[in-house]
Amino acid sequence: MPLLTADLLRRLEQLQLLAQRRARSVSRGERRSRARGQSVEFADHRNYVFGDDLRYLDWNLYGRLDRLFLKLYEEERELPVRIFLDASESMAFGEPVKFDFARQVAAAVGYVALCGFDRVTILPFPENPGEAVARSGLRAVRGRRSAMGMFQNLAQLTARGAADLNAALRRGAIEARQTGLAVVLSDFLDPAGYETGLDALVGRGFQVDVVHILAPEELAPTTYGDLRLVDSETGAQQEVTFGKYRLAAYQRTVQAFCQRLREFCAGRGITYFLASSATPLEDLLLKQLRAAEVWR
Amino acid sequence: MSFLAPMAFAFAAAIPVVILFYLLKRKRVVKLVSSTLLWQKFLAESQASAPFQKLRHNWLLVLQLLLLILVILALARPFFAGEIKGGRLLVAILDASASMQSTDEVPSRFEKARREALALVDNLTDTDQMVVLLAGGNTEVKQSPTGNKAALRRALQAAVPSDSPTRLTEALKLAQPLVRDRVGGEIHLFSDGAVSGLEEFEFEGLNVVFHRVGQRAENAGIVTLDVRSNPEDPTRRALFTSVFNASSNIVRTEVELLLDGQLVEARPVEIPPRETLPEVFFAGQTNDGVFTVRLASPDDLAADNEASIVSLLPQPARVLLVSRGNRFLERALAAVPSAEVTVVTDLADSAADFDITVLDDVLPAAWPSNNVLAIRSAPTNWVEITGRAEAPAIVDWRTTHPLLRFVTFDNVQISEALTVVPPGWATPIVEAPGGPLILAGEIGRQRVVWLAFDTLQSTWPLRVSFPIFIANVLDWLNPVTARAAQFLVQAGAPLRLPLDGTVTNAVVRLPNGEERRLTLDPAVRELVFGETGRRGVYQIELGNRRFTFCANLLDAPETDTTPRSEVRFGKYAAVAAAEARPANVEIWRWIALAGLAILMFEWWFYHKRTA
Repeated sequence: MPLLTADLLRRLEQLQLLAQRRARSVSRGERRSRARGQSVEFADHRNYVFGDDLRYLDWNLYGRLDRLFLKLYEEERELPVRIFLDASESMAFGEPVKFDFARQVAAAVGYVALCGFDRVTILPFPENPGEAVARSGLRAVRGRRSAMGMFQNLAQLTARGAADLNAALRRGAIEARQTGLAVVLSDFLDPAGYETGLDALVGRGFQVDVVHILAPEELAPTTYGDLRLVDSETGAQQEVTFGKYRLAAYQRTVQAFCQRLREFCAGRGITYFLASSATPLEDLLLKQLRAAEVWR
Repeated sequence: MSFLAPMAFAFAAAIPVVILFYLLKRKRVVKLVSSTLLWQKFLAESQASAPFQKLRHNWLLVLQLLLLILVILALARPFFAGEIKGGRLLVAILDASASMQSTDEVPSRFEKARREALALVDNLTDTDQMVVLLAGGNTEVKQSPTGNKAALRRALQAAVPSDSPTRLTEALKLAQPLVRDRVGGEIHLFSDGAVSGLEEFEFEGLNVVFHRVGQRAENAGIVTLDVRSNPEDPTRRALFTSVFNASSNIVRTEVELLLDGQLVEARPVEIPPRETLPEVFFAGQTNDGVFTVRLASPDDLAADNEASIVSLLPQPARVLLVSRGNRFLERALAAVPSAEVTVVTDLADSAADFDITVLDDVLPAAWPSNNVLAIRSAPTNWVEITGRAEAPAIVDWRTTHPLLRFVTFDNVQISEALTVVPPGWATPIVEAPGGPLILAGEIGRQRVVWLAFDTLQSTWPLRVSFPIFIANVLDWLNPVTARAAQFLVQAGAPLRLPLDGTVTNAVVRLPNGEERRLTLDPAVRELVFGETGRRGVYQIELGNRRFTFCANLLDAPETDTTPRSEVRFGKYAAVAAAEARPANVEIWRWIALAGLAILMFEWWFYHKRTA
C-alpha cells in the first residue's frame, strides 16, 4: 500500500510551506532570504564600490542625484526541512500502528517541501545499521522527482530499538548546516523527557513543528484486570490493577501529559499537534496543519 | 476476664495463614505495551490523590486479622465473674396426650404447641432457664433446667405425642417445687385444655401461663369397651361399647366390629351432639381372639376411632362356698352356668384347688389364696373395722363398675352393717353415709369383693338384682376374666404380667411392627412393660407362650377435644388461655443477617470493580 494516495498527493501539490523566518540556506531556491542576489524583488540601495556589476547600477538615481547607487535585490533561497521521525519500538504499537501514521505524515510534509523546491532531510531515530542505505537516501532530498525515491526509502523503515529523543534532536540540531523547518514526529513516551532536545532545536534557530502521535489504546485502554505491563523499549515491568472505574483517572493523566508538552511548546514558539494514529490523514494534513499555518 | 473454652485459641494458628495468603501475589496477566511511562504517571497521580492508597491492601489485611481475632475471642467464650440478677425459670409443660394429635390445627395441635414452645425458647434471655416436661400417659423430663437454647430446642423437637390420656397432675406436681419459691418462676402449659383429674391439684397461686391450641371439636370416639359372655347364650360373646360425639353436630357413621381382623358386623349409627351412644354387639367365638371396634368415618382425632380388646373363651369356674347355710346364695351361685359350686362349712387350707372362694359370714381357719367373695368376714389386714351401723341407707353405687352391671339397689334395706375405713387397695362400689358397704379390688394378685353386711340381714336376696350381682361377681372373680382384664390397658399405662421365673427372655411386638427384646431376671416375679404409648395390639412372646394385650385410649375427657378457654385447678382456681403476652421480640437476627448480606455484597462489589 502506498504511503499516500494519488488523490492526496494532488492536493498536497497545491500547498506551500510557510516559513516564518527568512531562509538562511546557501542554495538558491524559492524562499525569500536575507541574502541579496538575483531576483525580481527589490530590497535596497547601496553605494557603488569598485568592482560591482554595472548591470545593477540604478541609472535613474544617478540621473537625479549624480551619484552611483547599486540596486539590491532579494535573493530567493531554499528552505531546509528536517523531519525527525521517531522509529523506536514504542512506535510499532497501536491500531493503526503509530509508526505507519508517522511515516505518512513525514511523506506528506516531505512531498510538500519537495514541491516547493525545498531540501528535505528525514532523520529516523534511533540508529539502525540494517537500514543504512534507505536512511542515507532520505538525506538532503531535493526536487519533486526525488519524491518517489523518498517514499520508497520511507517504506523500508522499521520501528525497533530504544530511542533517546533528546540526544537525537540535539544531534540533528548540531549537524544542520543551515537552520530551517524542523518537524518532530514522535509519541514523546521517553522516560528521559523531551525538553532538552526541543530546546536545542529552538536554540539552533529552527522553526519547530511537533506532531504528537498516540495510539487510541494509549488514550483509552481497553484491557482490564490485574496486569503486569512490560515496556517494549526498556523491558521495565509495571504491575497495575485497572478497571473501567479508573479509566477517567487514566485519561486525565494522559491529558495532563499532553498538556504539559503543549505548554512547553507554546512557551517556545513551537507549533504542537496531537494526533491519534486513528485520525484520518486528510484531517490532520489539510485541516489542522493548514489552520496552524504550517502550510498554505 | 476468663475463658470458658480456651482451646479455641488454637484457631489463632489461622492468623499466619491469612498473612501467608496476603504474601501470595495475585496472578497477573502479562501484557506488552509501547511504554509504561503513562502508567507510571497514572499510578503516581492516583496515589497522590488518595492519601491511604499505599496502605489500602494493608487495611484489608488488618480488617481480616481483626475479624479473625474477634471470632477466636468469641469462640473462647470469655466471661467476667460479675453478678447479674437471677433469671427466670420457665417450666414448659407440653401436653402429649392423644387429643393433641387432633388435626384441626395444621398439621396438628401438638405441632402447633411445639412451635409455640420453640418461640418461647427463642425469647429466652441469657440468664433465663427452662425445663421441658412432656406430659403424656406419664410425665417425662425432656430437659432439666438449662439456659442452653440448642438443648431446649433439641428436647422439644424430640418430643412425640402418645395415644394416652392426659396426666397433667403429675407434670404440675413435678413443676410446682421448681417454681414455687422463685421470683421469676413460670409454668407454661401448652395444651388444648382437654384434661381431667386436676380437681385434686392444689393450685397455690402458681404463675401458670396457659397456651391454648385447638380450634374445634370435630371428633367422635370410642370411650368404653368390654367383652363378656352373653348371659342369654353362653356360646356367644357380648361386646359392650359406647361412642361419644364431642362435636356440636350429629355424627352419622358406622360402627364396625372385627374379630381378629375379620369384619363381623357393621352397624350404622347416628350420635346426637355431645352425647354418648351405647352399643351392644353379639358375636360367636371359637378361639381366644381380639375384638376390634372401629368407627368408619374419619374425624380430627384418629386415636380414639378404634379400640381392641382381648376376648378369652370362658372357662368354668370352680367355686368353693364356705357357709353355714344360705339358700339364696347357693341358688344364686347354682344359677351361674359356668360355675361348679362346692359347699363346705369351714376352710382348713388355702383352697388352691378352687378358682373362687365365697366366705359367707364365717371366719375360716385358713384364709384362701384365690379370688374371694367375702361376706361380712375379712382378715384384719384387708379392712379396718371401726364399728357397726344400724340400718345404713344405701346412698350411692357405681353403675359403671362391672360388678354392678344391670344391678340396682332400689328397695334394698339392710338392718346392720360393719363400718370400715376405705382401704387403699379397694374401690367402694356401694356406699352408705357411714362408710362403704361393698368394696372391690385387688390385693396382690388376689381379687377380692367384700360385703360389709350379711345378705340374710337384708332384703337384697329377695330382689332380682341379687342373682345378677352374684353372676357378675363370679364373672369378675373368674381368673380367666381377671387375666383378660390384665390384657386391656389404657395407652401409656404399664402392662403387668406375672412370671414364674423359668423364662429369661421376652419379645414384645409393638403395634407398628417393631420388636423389643427384654432380658428377665429369674428372681423377678412380674414383667412390667411400660412402652404402651401407642394404641393397638401388642404381642408378647414369653418362652413358648404367647400373650396378646391391647392398649386403648378409652377416655371420655380425651375424646372430648373441645378446646377449653381455661384450665381449672382444684375447686376455685382457673387459668385462662393467654393469646399473647408482652415480650421483647428481638430482631437482632435480622440485623445480623442484613450485615452478612452487606458483607457479601461488598465482597462481590470489590471483585466487580477490579475485574
